[in-house]
Formats: sequence, structure tokens, C-alpha cells
Amino acid sequence: MIKAENIIKKFGQGELEFMALKDISLEIKDGEFVAIIGPSGAGKSTLLYQLSLLDEPTSGEVFFQGIRTSKLNQSEKTKLRLNELGYVFQDFALLPELTAVENVALPMLMQGMKHGSALAKAKIALARIGMADKLRNLPSQLSGGQQQRVSIARAIAHDPHILFADEPTANLDSANSRLVMEAFSELNRSGQTIVMVTHEDEYAHRATRIISLRDGELVGDGR
Amino acid sequence: MNRFKLGGILNWIGELFVSIKVGWFLAVQSLRRSSKGTTALIIFIMILTFLNLIVVSGILLGLIAGSFEQFREGYSGDIIITAATGRDYIENSPALVSFLRNHPDVQAISPRYSASVSVLGTLNRLPKKNEQPNRSGGRLVGLDPVSEEEVTGFSRFVVQGEPLAQDDSGYILIGANLLKKYSTFADANIPGLVFLDGVDVGSRVRVTLSQKEGPPIVKDFIVKGVVKSKVDEISTRIFTTDRELKRILPINQEQYQEIAIKADHARVSVLVSDIREFMKDYSVRIQTSEEAIPSFLRDIETTMGMLGNAISSIALVVASITVFIVVFINAVTKRKFIGIMKGIGINPLAIELSYIFQALFYGIVGSAVGLVLTFGFLKPYFDMNPINFPFSDGILVATPEGAAIRVIILLVVTFFAGYIPAKIIVRKNTLDSILGR
Repeated sequence: MIKAENIIKKFGQGELEFMALKDISLEIKDGEFVAIIGPSGAGKSTLLYQLSLLDEPTSGEVFFQGIRTSKLNQSEKTKLRLNELGYVFQDFALLPELTAVENVALPMLMQGMKHGSALAKAKIALARIGMADKLRNLPSQLSGGQQQRVSIARAIAHDPHILFADEPTANLDSANSRLVMEAFSELNRSGQTIVMVTHEDEYAHRATRIISLRDGELVGDGR
Repeated sequence: MNRFKLGGILNWIGELFVSIKVGWFLAVQSLRRSSKGTTALIIFIMILTFLNLIVVSGILLGLIAGSFEQFREGYSGDIIITAATGRDYIENSPALVSFLRNHPDVQAISPRYSASVSVLGTLNRLPKKNEQPNRSGGRLVGLDPVSEEEVTGFSRFVVQGEPLAQDDSGYILIGANLLKKYSTFADANIPGLVFLDGVDVGSRVRVTLSQKEGPPIVKDFIVKGVVKSKVDEISTRIFTTDRELKRILPINQEQYQEIAIKADHARVSVLVSDIREFMKDYSVRIQTSEEAIPSFLRDIETTMGMLGNAISSIALVVASITVFIVVFINAVTKRKFIGIMKGIGINPLAIELSYIFQALFYGIVGSAVGLVLTFGFLKPYFDMNPINFPFSDGILVATPEGAAIRVIILLVVTFFAGYIPAKIIVRKNTLDSILGR
């Protein structure tokens, strides 16, 4: 479970100060598939970064499994992200010098898993999203959709508590976008908690809960 | 409390181990899949740096080392015993020679007589008015050709004519630097430096020895050969047999001025101690070849060493900047991916280690190839083909110990040149790196 209390995020200073998030409070329970929607500049990605511990709010608090994350140092946050969270980025964010299976295995190696075990688990994760035949391909040898599926495999291979996805279909064509969303739906059906930012209503409605933002304010939270 | 501390230390060691493992994994994959041309270029630079470290200073020192070696091989042997300052000859010479001939560490000895002489090169006419006589000064050395051959291989220095034989009488060998025809300084027109003009193999010369008491001794010799070496003690002297010198000079049996000793290299210090003990009651100078080397050569050696170190230091700075720039550019261009790795929970230390491992790879491969080139090719080449300098045959001075120290220095420099730029990039804000802002 993750909980945000009175999150405010400001950028800039003085006359250039801009409030990207205005007193956001929400709670996401285990097993939910949450879509964060809103127009461009609404603060969707900013909220995701606060919830996923990639950024720190100007004020307010994020609790993860009851832990006050502002009390954690950088090293503890890094460990928490490694062990409990998974990330899917808009532009896939695969390491270009690692093959698909190595990209997926990397977080597990960092968890201390043996090389062979990590690769074996990475293969299973890739097979789960239909990429079993592209294990040895470098990212440059994969299409955008394939890269995003590898990115999803990397995010789920180490069994994270929550999977965060920032506009995962933004750089994909409609066919690949559907494949990615089907993968998300399948993961959620198997119990995976997902928090996804999207600006496409079609994909947002695959979520079990939709949080709407406008100008940094929470304007809707429905199922 | 102690258990808490121990747990913390074990946890830290565990994390360090995992970070090393992941850093190694990232470095290996990065090197495997990076541009082969770029990798080859960086390694080439590291090879050149290593060679700069070891070869440049090695050759500078080798110029002098070559001179030292020739001094030892051609003149002093491993140990040289000479008359003490202010004495005409080595005291207790007969007993000393006998002691040396029976010492187990002595391989050969060459006792030498010597005396200052002047040599007149033109005998068939008197000098014209305002004409300098064709005369030069030097040291006449009487040696046993067979013993000298065993110690220095003296006959190899004969560049014209023939070597001396034990029973030669009336013959000399003359140093090339005394002859206008052969000396490399003959055209320098240095005031006070005079050469014998028109003297060559077969020429008759008149040797004059001044005595403390009585008239000077004068004897004519035929030049049997010309000896030439980069060791002054050979090229500026005149040589005849010890028997001949004893015949013409009023010297007693075995009152030698020099004794050159060829010995087992590993036993030189022991032998010197033994000789000093044997000669403790006599005034005599006992020196190893190293100690006998003229001080100006020592000064040159020190200067060359400093020059070599200065050039090596510049090479090190260039190498460290090269590696720094390579790693920095590599890290800057991958800043986004470094941010992503941090974002998904990869320990920053593992990322930094990956860059350090890559930098060390360049350093290790560069040093290894440099070592192979140095000891497999350059050193044997320079040993067989010394650099021909006016005062020595330059060799390449490179020892395994010296090379090991330079490898360590290069790797330490490479370590920091890899670590610092990686640290600069890795410590940047994770989200800023991911978003490229």
C-alpha cells in the first residue's frame, strides 16, 4: 500500500516559482490498477515520480507500506526502489549495451541473485510477455513495442510490490500499445499493483481506478 | 551494540561484493559491445604511455648504463685495485696477486704497470721554426696480453693492425684518441689537445719517460696496432707488454699500478671484503667497477634519471587526462542510462565501479602489451643493436622491478582517472538524469 499526504511540489524560485502539485492526498491499495490522467501539464508524471520515490515532494509525505519515506536516506530509497518497485518509462529506457535478457536480469543481480538464477528468472519474465525469442537481441535490434515489453519484463521480473508506468504507450503505434496494455491487464489480474500515467482515455479505462489531475490538483478519483 | 555493529559491517561487505559483481558485469558487457576501434585506440594510447614511462627513461639511463658496462667490461673488470693516492704502485703487489690467483671467487686477473710518457710521432726531421713538435702525452701501460684478454677481451678493441703477443718486443698499441687520423675530436681544434699527426700502424714513434731521479728513459717503438673504444682508459693510452715495460723501466718485479679483476658477479662484495681484509695493513684503493666510475658520469646518470622521471611524469599526466576524458565523455553520453540504473535501484557504487573496471581494463591491457613489447622486443633489440652515441653504446635499462612499479603507478592513475569522472556523473540527481534536464 502506498499513501500520499498533502503532497506539494514546486519548481523554480521567486517569480518563476511554479506549483506542479497542489496538496494531493491519496491512497493506493494492493492489487489496484490505477491510471493517472489529465491534460498536458496537469502534473501526472510529477505525481508518479513522488509516489515512486524518484523525486521528493516540496512538502507532504509519501508512505510506503507504512514507512515514512522522507525519513529514508538515498541508499535506503535506492534499495526500496530495487526490491519493492518496478518502473516502465515512456522511452523504454533499456541499457543499449545489454541484451534483452541482461537488461531484465540486471535488477535481480543487484539484489544479490546468482548470475544463472537471474538470467533464468529474466527468461521467464520475457516469456511471460511474449519475448522468449528475443532474449539475445540488443535494444537496437528490437522494435519500439518489443523494447517496451522488455522494459515491462525488467519491471516485473523481480516481483515488485508496485509497478509504475509513465506513459508506457506514448512512443508506440496502436497495435503495440494494445499489446502493452493487454500485458498490464494480465499482470493486474494476477495481482500486480500498477500505477500508470496516460493521456489516452482508451487505455485509462483498462484500469480499475482513474485519478484525474488538472493544473496540479486532484479533480477526480473514480472506479 | 557489538552485534549491531558486526551485522552492519557484514551487510556492508555483502553490498560491496554485490556492487563489485554488478559493476564487473556492466563493465564487461560495455567493453564487449562498445566500438572496437575506440577501444583499440584507447589501448594504443595506454601502450604508448607505458612505453613512454619505461622506454624513454630507460634509454636515457641506458646511455650511461652502456658507458658503465663498457667501463667494466673493457677496463676495470668487476673490481679494480689501484695505487693509493700519492703512491707510485700498489703496495704488497706480489702477495696480493698470489692471493687473488688463489681466491675461489676470482675468475681472472690482469695486473698492469703504467707510467706517464710523451710520444714523439716524427723522428726523421726536426720541427721547423715556429712549428710544434709532433708530440702527445699519454700513459704507457704494460700488460700481459693473455691475462688482459681473459679479463677485458682486449684484442676486440684493436681496430687497425694486430693485437700484442706475450713475447712482442719493440711494439706498442696506441689509443685512437691520441692519433689525428683516428680521433673523433681531431677536428675540434681544442686548445691544449694535441694529436700525433701521420702516425699509423707500422709507424716508428719515440717514447720518453721522465724519472724522479736520473735522465729520462727514451725508447723507439713500432706501432703494431690502434685501439679504439668509447672508454677513455683505452682510447687515450698506449699499450705494450708487461715484459717489455719491465725491461725498459727501472721498476721492481710486480710493482703494479693497476689490477683488474674478473669475478663471479654475485660474489663481488664478498671478494672486496676479503681483499680489504688481506690488504688492511697497506695503502691501496680497492673499488668495484661501480665505485670506480668517474664522478662526471655519475652526475650525468643523475641528470638523465631526473630527465627521465620528468618525461615519465608528463606521460602519466597525459595518460590520466586521456582516460579521464574518455571515461567522462562515456559517462556524460550515458547520463540518462546512469539515471535509469539508479532509478531502478542499481547501487551508485556498482555504476562507478563499472567505469573504474573499464578504465583499469585499458590500463592493464596497455601495460601488458607494453611489457611484452619492452621485454620481448625492445630490450633484446637494443641489447643486440646499441644506440651509437659518442661516449657510449646506449642500451635500454628496464628491470622487472622497475617495470612492475611503473605498471602499479599507471594503474593507480588509471583508477582515479576512471573513478573521478564516473563519480561526477553518478552523483547527479537521478530524475534530472533520466529526464535529461
